[in-house]
Amino acid sequence: MATTGTNNMQAKLVLLGDMGTGKSSLVLRFVKGQFLDYQESTIGAAFFSQTLAVNEVTVKFEIWDTAGQERYHSLAPMYYRGAAAAIIVYDITNSDSFVRAKNWVLELQKQGNPNLVMALAGNKADVAAKRKVEAEEAETYAKENGLFFMETSAKTAQNVNELFYEIARRLPKARPVQQPAGMVLTDRPAERARTYSCCS
Amino acid sequence: METDSARESGEEENGFTQPEIGDDDIDNVAEDFRDGLGLLSPKEKTMEERRNGTLDSDNDSDDNSRIRTVDENGNADDSSRIEVEEGQSDSSRIEVEEGQSDSSRIEVEEGQADSNRQIAEFSSENNNFVEGHKEISEAREHLEDDFSEQEIEVEAPTSPSSSGYAGGRGSSSAASIGSASGSEEIRDALRSGDGVTECFGNGNGEHRGQASWAHGKRYSNEDETSISWRKRKKHFFVLSHSGKPIYSRYGDEHKLAGFSATLQAIVSFVENGGDHIKLVRAGNHQIIFLVKGPIYLVCISCTEEPFQALKGQLELLYDQMLLILTKSIDKCFEKNSKFDMTPLLGGTDVVFSSLIHAFSWNPATYLHAYTCLPLRHSTRQAAGAILQDVADSGVLFAILMCRHKVISLFGAQKAILHPDDMLLLSNFVLSSESFRTSESFSPICLPQFNPMAFLYAYVQYLGVDTYLMLLTTDSDSFFHLKECRIRIENVLVKSNVLSEVQRSMLDGCLRVEDLPGDPTLPSDSLSFRLRRDKNLQVAGSSTGTGRNTGIGGPAGLWHFMYRSNYLDQYVASEFSPPINSRNAQKRLFRAYQKLHTSMHDKDVGPHKMQYRKDENYVLLCWITQEFELYAAFDPLAEKSSAITVCNRVCQWLRDVESEIFLLEASPLSW
Repeated sequence: MATTGTNNMQAKLVLLGDMGTGKSSLVLRFVKGQFLDYQESTIGAAFFSQTLAVNEVTVKFEIWDTAGQERYHSLAPMYYRGAAAAIIVYDITNSDSFVRAKNWVLELQKQGNPNLVMALAGNKADVAAKRKVEAEEAETYAKENGLFFMETSAKTAQNVNELFYEIARRLPKARPVQQPAGMVLTDRPAERARTYSCCS
Repeated sequence: METDSARESGEEENGFTQPEIGDDDIDNVAEDFRDGLGLLSPKEKTMEERRNGTLDSDNDSDDNSRIRTVDENGNADDSSRIEVEEGQSDSSRIEVEEGQSDSSRIEVEEGQADSNRQIAEFSSENNNFVEGHKEISEAREHLEDDFSEQEIEVEAPTSPSSSGYAGGRGSSSAASIGSASGSEEIRDALRSGDGVTECFGNGNGEHRGQASWAHGKRYSNEDETSISWRKRKKHFFVLSHSGKPIYSRYGDEHKLAGFSATLQAIVSFVENGGDHIKLVRAGNHQIIFLVKGPIYLVCISCTEEPFQALKGQLELLYDQMLLILTKSIDKCFEKNSKFDMTPLLGGTDVVFSSLIHAFSWNPATYLHAYTCLPLRHSTRQAAGAILQDVADSGVLFAILMCRHKVISLFGAQKAILHPDDMLLLSNFVLSSESFRTSESFSPICLPQFNPMAFLYAYVQYLGVDTYLMLLTTDSDSFFHLKECRIRIENVLVKSNVLSEVQRSMLDGCLRVEDLPGDPTLPSDSLSFRLRRDKNLQVAGSSTGTGRNTGIGGPAGLWHFMYRSNYLDQYVASEFSPPINSRNAQKRLFRAYQKLHTSMHDKDVGPHKMQYRKDENYVLLCWITQEFELYAAFDPLAEKSSAITVCNRVCQWLRDVESEIFLLEASPLSW
């Protein structure tokens, strides 16, 4: 798979989660190395791309940082359709956001893409003093549902790069059976096809 | 200290921009003017009914007001000027121009406090109007302080509603000490933090800096029991027909549930009687209601803005909500009348507060026109060409803007972009910081285009203030739009459009000082360009340069605003001294707004021309089929020279129209 000649792949990654859990902060920390104490609400979805080298494979992430507000919920399929990976983010100081995260996982599972790499990120690990969601609880839930789990902090950068690297590492294994699931974006099918050939 | 903060609290930019030029024949203009005057409708009651005899002093000011007729020989002009200079004016007067006593119209100033008149005297003695002017404002600040203090003492619960929205301004007391509209206006201006009120230090003054709206909800700890909340000059509420709060400008919506329910009760009480409530006047306050299906919008204001203007603001507020959610939100209420809409608007406070802020600086909010960034014709054409190119490839609208000014735009065939939609869209993008961090793809609805459906907007900043918006109906076309953006950006960089835009932002727009002298000379746009070069040299030293000694333009022209009715675009001059403080700018903005409303008043109008004189300015408004011109002059300006200058302004704008207007915008509505 990844050991063969072509070593570029493109992967669509989507971040989902309740508003204010720190999706944008995670992405900005990963893409730009920045952190803002006061991060404005995302409108619709913001698009970023970032390239990672993992095991001699270059993974170009196309990252959709979706808005957590309820009004954008119905639009989420637009962003996660055809995604190779999803990060579901909750805020460890807010148990409601963990409930929402579980709902996102359910929704993604219903999507019926078994090869979707799903990561559960408990963000804001730097304010563990106000913790409302125990790491063990999330860990158990993640195992039961086939996700991998990390507690992160966009503020201190704890586990942020690790999270994305771990996704990148898991990707190639998932790639061969990946379906393009209705993406009609003009420039992508070609890329995708190339990826298949290299992985199969 | 309060006044200082009030002064700082002005708007972020002078938001005035440009309209377009009509084809008026210069030679005929003066005649038109007279004709226009001849057609002035009979005596408009500029005196607002707001006092309605609710206060003792109201009657006083009515009594004191008198109507003066100015006859054609212009003597009256002189005498009116004398009044100003000598401070003999009675507390109100109505000026009638050109001896048409019956077709009079125009200004009423009500019972000014004596002290104000003394100030006027003082200024004329000084013979230096600018200084005098400043002193007037200072003295007014004192006055204002006095009023505020008195208000504190006498704040009486004249509440129009059971939950006690206590006519927060203590209006009766203020009025009884002789401050009628004049002092209202002053107070208004002094507090001008776009109507953010707290008059006497409740300690929040310093938050009212220019960008204060940019932090979303302010004062969220307030509720209807807070004195500071009651003191706000201008409240906006949105609630559902079941009385659930949806939005409040000040205070936390949820804490205002009781107040919302009261508003809802008022609306439904009147509706049960088979009628619709529009307006309640209570002391200085107007309470305006707008019912949009299951959504009620309410404005409570003591800013003395005309009812029509405030209603228009509520309409825009509603449309801004539609831009975020579409009108299909009504269905949620059909399914569940107790539906709670607040979660759906999560994170959008900043959009609304920025729009409400625009109500006090952006003329687009009542002119229903947009404004363009001044650019060389060739530059704008270059930008337009590439936008047209992408618009042909399946993009519905391609809009390139710099702050609230349009650089260029293009729509697909038959697609019509309404100026109000542009205002709301640019407000949405500018107020949401997240658009600046990355490319975004977001559903939006253009209420005038189609209130039921979402469009998808690709938004990307190409510079500090320059941003590109590509709208499409296809939710899957992000990557196509991204490609379009790359193509557009390449072209714009290569053709130097972006650097031209930066330069234009620094240069600003038209300045009254640059008004060409003699319209009969073969004029080109030289002066405008020359002015730009001159500006480059003095770049940075914005004020205090020798040429701005406070006299404004020719014949005391201080400012003008011109709306092209064919293009739906407007242009406004930069603010020049003495209109350089935030307060003065806001006062002028409100004066224009009032003028605009009275010119378009359906009951007594529409009018073609209006000439108003008060202690602040001479205001002249002139409406033809092609354009609307609003101009402000020194209060001592002669009427005849003012008219001449207006003609020159029109000529000037016609000469530079290719630079200040977007002339190729064929797909726009007209």
